[in-house]
Amino acid sequence: MSAVYDINRILIPEVPPDYEDHTADTNYVPAPCQVACPIGTDAPSYIGYIWEGKFEEAFEAITATNPFSSICGRVCDAPCEPACRRTDSDGPLQIRNLKRFVMDKLGATYEPIPIKAIQSKTVAIVGSGPAGLTAAHELCDAGFEVHVYEMTDRLGGMMIWGIPAFRLPPGIIEEDIDRLLKRFPDLHIHLNSGLGKEITLDELKAKHDAVLLTIGSWWGKPMGIPGEEGNKNVVDGVSFLRHINAGERPTLPETVVVVGGGDVAMDACRAALRLPGCKNVKVIYRRGPDEIPARKIELEGAIEEGIEFIYFTQQVAVEEKNGKLILKCVKTVLGEKGEDERLQPKIAEGSEHEIQCGMVIAAVGQKAACDDLAKHNLMDVDRVQTEWDTMRTKDKKVFAAGDGAFGGSTIVMAMHHGQRAAYYVKSFLNDIDNPIPYRTPYRTRRVPVAQDIKWERFSPHHPEFFGIGEDPVSFPEIEATYDWDTARNEAARCYRCDAETGSPDYSVAHREDIFSMARTNPADHIKLKSMLQKRLRTRTNPFPESRAPNLDDIVFLPANLSRLVIDPYREACKVTTNLANKLELQHPFLVTGFDNESQEIFEAMSQGCVISKTPYLGCKDPGNETSWLQLSSSLSEQTKHTAGYVYHLDKGEEPIAITPATDRQIVGLAVSTENDLEQTISCSLENKHDILVLDSTGNLGGNWSELTTTPDFSILRDVIRILRKMKKEEAVELVYFGGVRSGTDAAKLIGLGANAVVMGVCAGLAMGGEINNEKIVFSSNYSDTDRVQGLVNIVKANLGEASMMARCTGKTNLYNVEPEDLSAITNDTSKATGIPLPGKCA
Amino acid sequence: MVTIDLGKTSVREGNEKIRQCGKNGEDVEVVNPDARHHIGVGLVHPITVKVKGSAGYFCAGLSDAANFEVESNVGWGVGDNMYSGSVVVGGNAGAIPGVAIRGAEIVIRGNMGSRAGQVMKAGTLCCEGNANFMAGYMMYGGRIIILGDSGEKVGEDMSAGEIFVAGKVEDLGSDAELTDIDSAEIDEVMKFLDRYKIPFKGSFQKVVNAGKKLRYATSEQQMRSIPFFSFSGASDYWNPKIQEDLYIKSQIGRYRIRGYGGARPLPHFSDIAFKKDLSLAGGDADVVSKIKMRTEIGGINGAEPLKLSMPVMIAPMSYGALSASTKRAIGLASTLSDIAENTGEGGMSDAQRGAAKQLIFQMLGGRLGWNIHDMNRADGLEIYISQGAKPGLGGQLMAKKVTPELAKIRGIPAGIDLRSPSRHPDILGADDLVIKVEELREATGYRLPVSIKLGAGRVRDDIKIAVKDGFDFIELDGMQGSTGAGSAEVIDYVGIPTLPAIIEALNALEEIGRRDDIQIVLMGGIRDGVDAVKALCLGADAVALGTSTIIAGGCIACMQCHVGQCVTGIATQDPEHEKRYDPEVESQNIHRFLESVRWQIATIANELGYNDVTQFSRDDLVALTPEAAAMTGLPYDPQYGDADLDIKVRAAV
Repeated sequence: MSAVYDINRILIPEVPPDYEDHTADTNYVPAPCQVACPIGTDAPSYIGYIWEGKFEEAFEAITATNPFSSICGRVCDAPCEPACRRTDSDGPLQIRNLKRFVMDKLGATYEPIPIKAIQSKTVAIVGSGPAGLTAAHELCDAGFEVHVYEMTDRLGGMMIWGIPAFRLPPGIIEEDIDRLLKRFPDLHIHLNSGLGKEITLDELKAKHDAVLLTIGSWWGKPMGIPGEEGNKNVVDGVSFLRHINAGERPTLPETVVVVGGGDVAMDACRAALRLPGCKNVKVIYRRGPDEIPARKIELEGAIEEGIEFIYFTQQVAVEEKNGKLILKCVKTVLGEKGEDERLQPKIAEGSEHEIQCGMVIAAVGQKAACDDLAKHNLMDVDRVQTEWDTMRTKDKKVFAAGDGAFGGSTIVMAMHHGQRAAYYVKSFLNDIDNPIPYRTPYRTRRVPVAQDIKWERFSPHHPEFFGIGEDPVSFPEIEATYDWDTARNEAARCYRCDAETGSPDYSVAHREDIFSMARTNPADHIKLKSMLQKRLRTRTNPFPESRAPNLDDIVFLPANLSRLVIDPYREACKVTTNLANKLELQHPFLVTGFDNESQEIFEAMSQGCVISKTPYLGCKDPGNETSWLQLSSSLSEQTKHTAGYVYHLDKGEEPIAITPATDRQIVGLAVSTENDLEQTISCSLENKHDILVLDSTGNLGGNWSELTTTPDFSILRDVIRILRKMKKEEAVELVYFGGVRSGTDAAKLIGLGANAVVMGVCAGLAMGGEINNEKIVFSSNYSDTDRVQGLVNIVKANLGEASMMARCTGKTNLYNVEPEDLSAITNDTSKATGIPLPGKCA
Repeated sequence: MVTIDLGKTSVREGNEKIRQCGKNGEDVEVVNPDARHHIGVGLVHPITVKVKGSAGYFCAGLSDAANFEVESNVGWGVGDNMYSGSVVVGGNAGAIPGVAIRGAEIVIRGNMGSRAGQVMKAGTLCCEGNANFMAGYMMYGGRIIILGDSGEKVGEDMSAGEIFVAGKVEDLGSDAELTDIDSAEIDEVMKFLDRYKIPFKGSFQKVVNAGKKLRYATSEQQMRSIPFFSFSGASDYWNPKIQEDLYIKSQIGRYRIRGYGGARPLPHFSDIAFKKDLSLAGGDADVVSKIKMRTEIGGINGAEPLKLSMPVMIAPMSYGALSASTKRAIGLASTLSDIAENTGEGGMSDAQRGAAKQLIFQMLGGRLGWNIHDMNRADGLEIYISQGAKPGLGGQLMAKKVTPELAKIRGIPAGIDLRSPSRHPDILGADDLVIKVEELREATGYRLPVSIKLGAGRVRDDIKIAVKDGFDFIELDGMQGSTGAGSAEVIDYVGIPTLPAIIEALNALEEIGRRDDIQIVLMGGIRDGVDAVKALCLGADAVALGTSTIIAGGCIACMQCHVGQCVTGIATQDPEHEKRYDPEVESQNIHRFLESVRWQIATIANELGYNDVTQFSRDDLVALTPEAAAMTGLPYDPQYGDADLDIKVRAAV
């Protein structure tokens, strides 16, 4: 398997056809944890789902590529965790524990939908360990009928015979296997069917279209030292565990020595400690604590349970003296790196010593053995001879995978072998001669990032560790599972290396490239080259032709050296204005759009307007204290007591003259691009209208019209141009409506020529409304006070923003922002506003 | 007593002599000062300097331990940034006397101009006459004694310190208030007056900070960012980000604050491509040795230039925004890759100085951490006018990050929401700026290049002014630049993108005939060697990398820099979080990233047929989008944006 930051993460190889894979998605990069997982588990997604409390979705993400999820939740060696980027900070996400949390919730009760065989060809799989059953899962999923031949009376291979119950209770194994069998009714199980005994390879080849050998490394290797052979007090680790897992609870001598530092050694020493009679367990290992291959959590568990570790010690002979067993040992020192890139232990001269004990368990490696296969010349000493690139043996119909083919490894690696082998078996059965190389597919479920404000602070949470428990012989489980709060806090910690953040310049893909650049040896030209090629890629235009002109595509030009810099944090900026010399405004904002809302909402709006001194533009009277700019389509409705009267022109309607009802009443027309602008402006000027309301949505006064139309703010440009042509630029004041979302938008519109702006949806959302089906729905649990305060706050915030923008451009009066203070960054917006682009054509 | 006649020698020579006398322990008398600027700047030894007449701007500025007596009047900024030492002015002082002092004692016998003691951190400024408006403007500490009237808006936006007024308090500034005085304080004031033989019998009123604006009243709810594609490009007008913004703003009644770079795509280097098909580039294993990459920056006016092993430097980022260990990692990496590092706003620590072989020292309007000793040990000086991420806004550091240690180096009170001033006290326009540049040169003996950091806005005008002001080079920062904290709206909507910025800058230089000698270091969203080469092709002399180096060192771009709880230990001052960052490991990562950048620059140069990075040309480029074409004037040809690149790349590797 590849290291997380190797070349395959920079230029991800092609995925075999028919596999679901999302690496082509430009907004997704498989996270380090996912890449480190041999079966590509979409950990970030299920972690995200856990935080959201979506356990079924999390279960789907976990089990999609992993038929042994419940087992993995307990005992996976979790290569994802050391790959987790948070490891370098305060410790990795406890991914395995999170998986266990979900499986504990749903693993036992989940009812899979059965998938039946649809292919005529059948496959024999020999051995029912993780490699074999995972291959069975894949092949059944592809519609083949699969027959699994298992020499023992139980399914699960080393998962059931090798791992003691205190780490993996038997019910957990059954949970996964039951799920697998329920899901695939055409997965046929043949127990007690040993190869070369009850069945032969020739029979399998005759009966089935392909054979996959996943026979495991069933037999322990001897230590190869004098006195070992024939001594009943010297046993190998796997046999020892097999007996224990068969239910035996032998009484052991007081002191037991385990030789070896791998996972079998860990299970063996911990199992021994729990058995009757045993008081001390010592583990001897020929390298040091930094080199010991056992998984950290197993090692720590063993140490915590009281097992003694003796490092730099190598066994040389076993003897019996006075009924006591003597393990003769020497001390070692580490020398040069060997072929396997590991530091080789050398014997320290004169360091011979003895360790007394009653039993030696040798956990120094395993081997595969099968006479029937040897007879067919398919064995290479103690493994089935297998080519990694095709998973084939010398027999073209026979494939092999797992520990029996490639040596002892982990459950999750064996599962990868199973998936890999299944791919090549499928290709063979489908008559594909040179299939493209297999690679683990990577999927994402695009789960949002957890919104927990403490995500940066939570430190890793390890579930409670019980150790050997009160009744060790019954092998009680060693650790607890998370409760929901803890699981959620742990899930919140995830960096979500797979996901985009809000930064488009540093997209997830670009970040990961930078990360890889930082982890490349300057002499590694092949990797540098592939990285350069990736970086040379260009992007899709973020401003496609379909993008309408947008206020977002206008920027402000700061004061810098060419103007006096005004300090936006503290220097004053005038924001008050006098609309048409008739209406004093504390700020440039009006509110509209609440005419059809409930009385409760309308009153809250009205009260918010009173407090924030915001006029209301609408058909409905907001009450005495609010400045009301009456909006109407019928002159007869013109009310005397209002601050203003705005006659709303229908589409194509000819402009009409309006007379103020009082000296102080502001009057004007509301106009959209559906009207003749020139004619309307002429009419307004002739009749000395105070204002012109520019409706960029074409439906002012309607129900949240900003949600149904994209505001066409070229109306502002056109009106200004017409006024300018008439040399009447300031003869009528412009009130703009449509798409005002922020103070920044307001400042831009003021810069473009508006005297005031109208907030609709913006006010609705601030008052706790939510966008639903092109409407604002006030269904949230806001109180009236919250709504009033929301409106008051948004006016305040938008005003702060608008004046901040003005000051950034060097203005101390918001209404002095002008087109020269703006720049457009897209061609379409430039056209719609008349504001030039920066750069060459500036 | 050595006499220096400024009627006969230049100020530059005179200052060198005074410094020499300081070293030798001899006192100096300056005759015929004739209100010349910069008299006695940059002194770091105990010495008495008697100025027989009037001095101009910045008399005694940027000094430590010297004592000045000026017979008549002084111009702006007397005692600018003085550490210890004193100045006694016999007559009146112009504006901003005692600006940014950090311990000195300044006595004005006559009246003093406006904004006295602006951004001062410690020490005493005493005026026997009246003060003009805004005495104590934005002061962070120390004491002002005004025996006459206070002037308007006394104590405007002060954060700490105290102002004693014996005459009339005409008008209190924003967030200033009157408070009680205890007798011990009066005793201290009287002792000071006695020391300077100022007879006084009256009583005082005391002005202090009212504490209403030091912290934001309500805190903003922290959110992890929404993925950008859901709110930019072709997304809805009322997209989830807009809704979230509105929700938050309607809770706090204020603009939102966040860290990091822009949250929306802008026309950028990804929208231009090389004309030549580079899909086979990278075949040469020794390419780095074949391309001349060494670049000198800042030597045009005779200063010792920065010597870069490639046309790349580290963008200014402050200790404050970043943790000390992050600054250390970046400094170490800059040394390993033999380029230059920059202090940013927050001052220079010994650790930073020790880590970086070449270090630019940046001066901002708040003069936080600015001082003559660190200037003397810098390799370049930089006047910050603005930055691409938030031009127009000063630096922002939320209280969580303003720890006692950080506050000490910056000379400010701990635990305030620091909003640095966006305007320099003594730079109101181009003409002031030229005097300021001279002051920095005078104080450091013309050894160091003085650069300007400019956020991109009206680049054409700004560049011309910067050239006129005599800078040794220009750091131009487009709006894709990042920041530790700023108003989200300013980050996204103020300034112009990096791509048109360089074009406008070069056009401006062309127009004034300075295209060949003025060097521009471009920054703002330059992320790798490919972006760097595109910038060089367009005409930049070098680029600066900021955010990308942070990412190389473990940043995950969560955009929560402002919160101060950085999960990776980068943008934090919390020791528990900083512990998470291992500078020794990350400096190696950043170094490897920089080496990868070097390799990319060299490989592209080689593939384009060049052997020197100065040979890159805009003719090597095409624009892939109409916007990029319009902004750069490059030919528009979307064909070069290769959709099949993935396949070609795989075939090639």
